Amino acid sequence: MSFQPGPKMTNLPHNMKPASDSTGGSREESLFESALALPPEQRGAYLDTQCGADAALHRRVAALLEAYGRSDGFLEAPPEAVGPAGTLLAGAPPAENPGDIIGRYKIREKLGEGGCGVVYVADQSEPVRRRVALKVIKLGMDTRTVIARFEAERQALAMMDHPNIARVLDAGTTAAGRPYFVMELVRGIKITEYCDQNNLDTGERIRLFIQVCHAVQHAHQKGIIHRDLKPSNILVTLHDGIPVPKVIDFGIAKATEGRLTDQTIYTQLYEFIGTPAYISPEQAEMSELDIDTRTDIYSLGVLLYELFTGKTPFDSQELLRSGLDEMRRTIREKEPLSPSTRLSSMADADLTTTAKRRRAEAPRLVHFIKGDLDWIVMKALEKDRTRRFETANGLAADLQRFLDNEPVEARPPSNVYRFQKLVRRNKMAFATVSGIVAALALGLVVALNLYVKEKAALRRALQAEQEEAGLRKQAERGLEIERKALAGAELGQKLWRAGVLMSEDHMDQAEEVMKGVPPIPESAAIYYALGMCHARWGRLDRAITNYAKCATVQPTNDLGFHCLLPLLAQAGRTNEFETWRHKALNQFASTTEPEAAERMALDCLILAAPDDVAQRAVKILDNTAATPPRPLAELARGLAEYRQGKFAPAAARLERTANFLTNTNAAMQARLILAMARSKLGMADNTPLPDDDQFSLTGGAWNEQMTSLLFTREARGVTVK
Amino acid sequence: MNEVTQLLQAIEKGDATSADELLPLVYEELRKLAASKMAREAPGQTLQPTALVHEAWLRLAGADAPHFNGRAHFFGAAAEAMRRILIDRARRKAARRHGGGQQRVDIDEMEIAAPARDNELLAVNDALDKFAALDARKAELVKLRFFAGLTLEQAAGVLGVSEPTAKRWWAYARAWLFEECKTSVSAQR
Repeated sequence: MSFQPGPKMTNLPHNMKPASDSTGGSREESLFESALALPPEQRGAYLDTQCGADAALHRRVAALLEAYGRSDGFLEAPPEAVGPAGTLLAGAPPAENPGDIIGRYKIREKLGEGGCGVVYVADQSEPVRRRVALKVIKLGMDTRTVIARFEAERQALAMMDHPNIARVLDAGTTAAGRPYFVMELVRGIKITEYCDQNNLDTGERIRLFIQVCHAVQHAHQKGIIHRDLKPSNILVTLHDGIPVPKVIDFGIAKATEGRLTDQTIYTQLYEFIGTPAYISPEQAEMSELDIDTRTDIYSLGVLLYELFTGKTPFDSQELLRSGLDEMRRTIREKEPLSPSTRLSSMADADLTTTAKRRRAEAPRLVHFIKGDLDWIVMKALEKDRTRRFETANGLAADLQRFLDNEPVEARPPSNVYRFQKLVRRNKMAFATVSGIVAALALGLVVALNLYVKEKAALRRALQAEQEEAGLRKQAERGLEIERKALAGAELGQKLWRAGVLMSEDHMDQAEEVMKGVPPIPESAAIYYALGMCHARWGRLDRAITNYAKCATVQPTNDLGFHCLLPLLAQAGRTNEFETWRHKALNQFASTTEPEAAERMALDCLILAAPDDVAQRAVKILDNTAATPPRPLAELARGLAEYRQGKFAPAAARLERTANFLTNTNAAMQARLILAMARSKLGMADNTPLPDDDQFSLTGGAWNEQMTSLLFTREARGVTVK
Repeated sequence: MNEVTQLLQAIEKGDATSADELLPLVYEELRKLAASKMAREAPGQTLQPTALVHEAWLRLAGADAPHFNGRAHFFGAAAEAMRRILIDRARRKAARRHGGGQQRVDIDEMEIAAPARDNELLAVNDALDKFAALDARKAELVKLRFFAGLTLEQAAGVLGVSEPTAKRWWAYARAWLFEECKTSVSAQR
């Protein structure tokens, strides 16, 4: 059952017999345990009687007891590393049982178990007799902090008085030291379940949802943010046959939220379980504590999405499976499918069931949601909270307008806006080159504006001509102008289309569209982004194709080369590497940008190079030389010297520079080249070389990781001494 | 990770050979996870062993985590893997100290917070080997607590013993190991 421990020891200390069975234990152990249970002053006498003539046993147990007394803190895991108790490892019994008294409350039965606590039905006897819900927080949270945070909000919570909000009545500490909260007892079922069980149609669902919005709005006006809105916190009860949604747990998420440091990251991770689908992008950020009412708007958007489609925008299971970092990235950056698209993409059987639960036929349901309702949901789900509905009432009002057949305020995003989003996404994904990508994309937007302007200008010219020229001439000229403007506009459309396709992760289609675009510099951003996606998916050849286009249509930008050259080297396409390195050397022969010079000099020398190539690389560096020398330039010079066989100067230079390289990849590369130079000099170098799998070719700065990997492989061939 | 899941299921069904294959996989997974995290985080960050182990677990079992049957085996393997990672590192660092003052940044050296200083870690490790020969189950408890950072409650759950039992074991194991470490350290002097 238990996992096999490390190597068995043959020489047992203190000539003790191994315990035959762990439950039985040795004589020594049982004496130790019995003695430990006694008050310290009685232990000596106890051992005297038990051990009799066995002085060794006496000494041994006495020593253990003494050791125990002094071992406080020994072997205790670092306190911050201790996760929430029992929760992941189920089976930890609840600390409360029916009949237990907690404060003024008597526990009755268990009502349910949530992410961070167990909820019981309890009876309050004074000052009023009533039945309440009592939630005991089960995690290893700091009780005092939780209670203090609750107290800070208590006044505001007391001000909340709304038929759709379950009131939070009290908070305190159980005898076991866990915080608990007392709430108005709501016996209902999750709003999503209620809707499905009763086959509410979309209109009825919206009406129910609007009431939830009003409840949330009421809380927001009192300064309370819920922070944890999700179906299990929105229960529906029947009052005289009329469904009434009630929002529970107001004020609790905030009180139980730990400071979001690395130490508590695991706790946070746990908190995610069951609800990651409802986490807003700013909550997923985790590094910032800047949460406001718009976080609740996002969660409401997720709920509306689920009410419409039966699915959350992102699947909880998938989010969890992808790991913490990927989960955060998805929530922050990935655009979900719109509800109607999501419905259309379901398997036929699923869609039919989903539609049936909404008393509709599949095509009609999709048609009903497409358009206005899509836009409303997507507006609530905006990653950028300034673009969401400003208030819960605003969201409710737009839904009401939809029900009343009035035009809604939420609009489909404009093409320009979608394109900006693409830029923003790229900026985040491609952290290392964000500025450049944004600049490239901006260039594209400018270019497109120019097309539009050109068209307008041409029209004006046409008008002017119309006024002076005869009708026949006008007709001919008009046609020609229209043709020209159209060609420009069409091109702009194509680029837009490619950008939008990419923003929806349709890489193949985007590439298809780009085939119809002539090699204009404005298309570089698209090729760059396409190359990035392929590279990070490990599709080297397709990445190379796109980066080659990027460097062709906009050769003045070194970043295309900076990705292309490592890729060619990695893919073993050395002839092409040769060609492109000459292009880079020519293109940047007289660059005045030190970053570009450093990148190109290094990239051109990733693979062994003839002397003239190394010389030209050094020349590029000379053009932008600075005092004191820039560390990355020194790295490139060290490499150039190494390639030229000047091992001693290379080693000296890299030793000098190593400490100044703050970039991890650059530091690694310096270390590797240094190791190679030393080996060539016959100097022993015991540094173990990194394994291949220590480099991530799918993350940020993958191209620089790739270069490090190439150096590592080269070093393996050199450092055989 | 799928392979791990399959192994865990096989072990659940009583396939003993699968248990041997589990450790290297979990070890590799933890190392990769740590390495990829270090590559992404700012320099100077320290990873918590508990967070690592649990994240590995969540990636493995997803939302089923609390109910997934293989957890005892997984945490057993993870504790052993974490022990090897930490001990290897402590040994390497010690070797480097003795080997003279070349300053190196070693990518192998993942910044995982160790539960103790290196010399203490190594002493505990040796003592634990001895203790394991004597009483494997209690040694397992120490490993889960000390190297994988589980609480006593969690470790009891993994080992399938009651909490009071785990508490008694813990008291004895701690006294035994403390005494052993004390003896071994004074013997060195």
